[in-house]
Amino acid sequence: MESKLHGIMAEFDTPSDLVDAARKVRDAGYTKTDAFSPFPLHEIDEALGIKRSILPYLIFCGGITGLLSGIGLQYFVHVFDWPIIVGGRPHFSLPAFIPPAYELTILFSAFVAVFGMLFLNGLPAPYHPVFNVPRFALATREKFFLIIESKDEKYDYAETRSFMESLAPQEVFDVEE
Amino acid sequence: MANLDDYQAPAVINRWRTLALGAGGIAVLAWGVGTYMNPEQGLRSWLLGFIFWAGITFGSLGVLMLQYLTGGAWGVVIRRTLEAATRTFPLVVLLFIPLAIGVWTHTFFEWTHLPADDPIMAHRGVYMTPWFWIVRAAIYFAVFGFMIYLLNGWSVKQDKTETVEESRLVLERASRFSGPAMVFFALAVTFAVVDWMMMLDAHWFSTMWGLLFVAGWGLSCFCFSVTILANLSDTAPMNRVLGKRHFHDLGKLMLALTMVWAYFNFSQFLIIWAGNLPEETTWYLARMKGGWGYVGIGLILFHFAFPFLVLLQQDFKRKARWLASLAMFILVMRIVDMFYLIGPTDRVSGTLEQGAFFISWMDIVAPIAVGGIWLWWFFGQLLKRPMVPAKDPYFEEAVEHGHGH
Repeated sequence: MESKLHGIMAEFDTPSDLVDAARKVRDAGYTKTDAFSPFPLHEIDEALGIKRSILPYLIFCGGITGLLSGIGLQYFVHVFDWPIIVGGRPHFSLPAFIPPAYELTILFSAFVAVFGMLFLNGLPAPYHPVFNVPRFALATREKFFLIIESKDEKYDYAETRSFMESLAPQEVFDVEE
Repeated sequence: MANLDDYQAPAVINRWRTLALGAGGIAVLAWGVGTYMNPEQGLRSWLLGFIFWAGITFGSLGVLMLQYLTGGAWGVVIRRTLEAATRTFPLVVLLFIPLAIGVWTHTFFEWTHLPADDPIMAHRGVYMTPWFWIVRAAIYFAVFGFMIYLLNGWSVKQDKTETVEESRLVLERASRFSGPAMVFFALAVTFAVVDWMMMLDAHWFSTMWGLLFVAGWGLSCFCFSVTILANLSDTAPMNRVLGKRHFHDLGKLMLALTMVWAYFNFSQFLIIWAGNLPEETTWYLARMKGGWGYVGIGLILFHFAFPFLVLLQQDFKRKARWLASLAMFILVMRIVDMFYLIGPTDRVSGTLEQGAFFISWMDIVAPIAVGGIWLWWFFGQLLKRPMVPAKDPYFEEAVEHGHGH
């Protein structure tokens, strides 16, 4: 049955227990891990060794794309596709092009930020194995959970389970796939 | 409650104070000689120094009221720097006297020489007469001085409180005052900069003018505060107060105001460009030709684009030294921005071809002269009070905030 497990989950009573345990998990060399808490824990990123998100760079690229699309679109429309003289100005009048280009910069950045965030979080996820543990529902209320996934390189059922038990959790669960 | 003696200003400020006075004193002498030889250029350069440094004084007043209204950890840790900057007010009034004399004696500002039958002068009537210009300046100073006096008074009172409840009462009074006072502050700034800066060009006008200075002075104030605090962040007592998150927050405010400055400037440009009316476009035409055009492009690149891209990065904002280097760079660009507003305007003496690019040695000396004296006064004020409002009810929380993630 081992191969069918999604991972091994431990339940903790307080956020500091969770953070302490997360540090030990990281130091033991596990990388395919995750933590669940009813509220944001700023220390957990560092404790679990979670890398900084690449989202800001994607948003920056989104913004640049928006800026270039904005200028490109107006250039195409006003210079090639349908040139009209407005107020005696040249077809390519940069000052007038800046507000729409700016709006597209914001729009593209915002789209990349929202949809990029969802994508990088693996959302939408209609099914996730962690909910096979009935007590996991408490992660939205008062309990703190830590999971080591079975796809982790260091994962070995017996060893990992006894390691999890050594972290002094309230309970350890097998999470079925 | 916290003990105020733990937060006395460090002795290193005394050395900075002497340095500032030395540099300022020498520059004032040089400026004095230059002004004796060419009074108009001397006063134009003095205005450049005055509008930049007085901008930090009045910008600090605005930000001081803003942080009373919004709250937040950044406001608690920079409050004493802001207050010390506002208390340079008596000096700013003194520094204004050469400008008042210049207008009274018709030495600079082209409008002091225009004939009375000039249509715009005739229309504006008594508003554009030297005596009324000086009376208005006195009114602006009275408004600013009143706010500075009250806010600093409450701050002293807060330091004398014994309990959290008393301290909270003082804070609430300052916050309640700051809301309505902010309205009068923005109005006074608008009228003042129209008189002191926009009137350099007697016929031109822009409704964006006041906002340009509200945003620009706010930016100057944040850059100045970051510079001072970053240089104190390694010495006691500020090493126990400041954390990387405080600088992160101040860096975000610098980013916001850099963008607001660019936004207001572009709005003004776009409206005038789209309107395409001769009485408005002359101002930009003079500033897009020859040497002034390069200054304008320089401002777009180094007052906006470069600081904007650098400040987008989170890591940069969290390192006090890096942020302070950029803050000093922006402060220099603020002077260039003021130079760009003053430089191309018409001269009374008519010695230069209209709109020709020209920079005088006094344009460099006068900001140093005003700045040296201003900083000497500022450091003196900074030494007088504890470095942080340690009795503020939110003080501990604000310190803790800086050391989080």
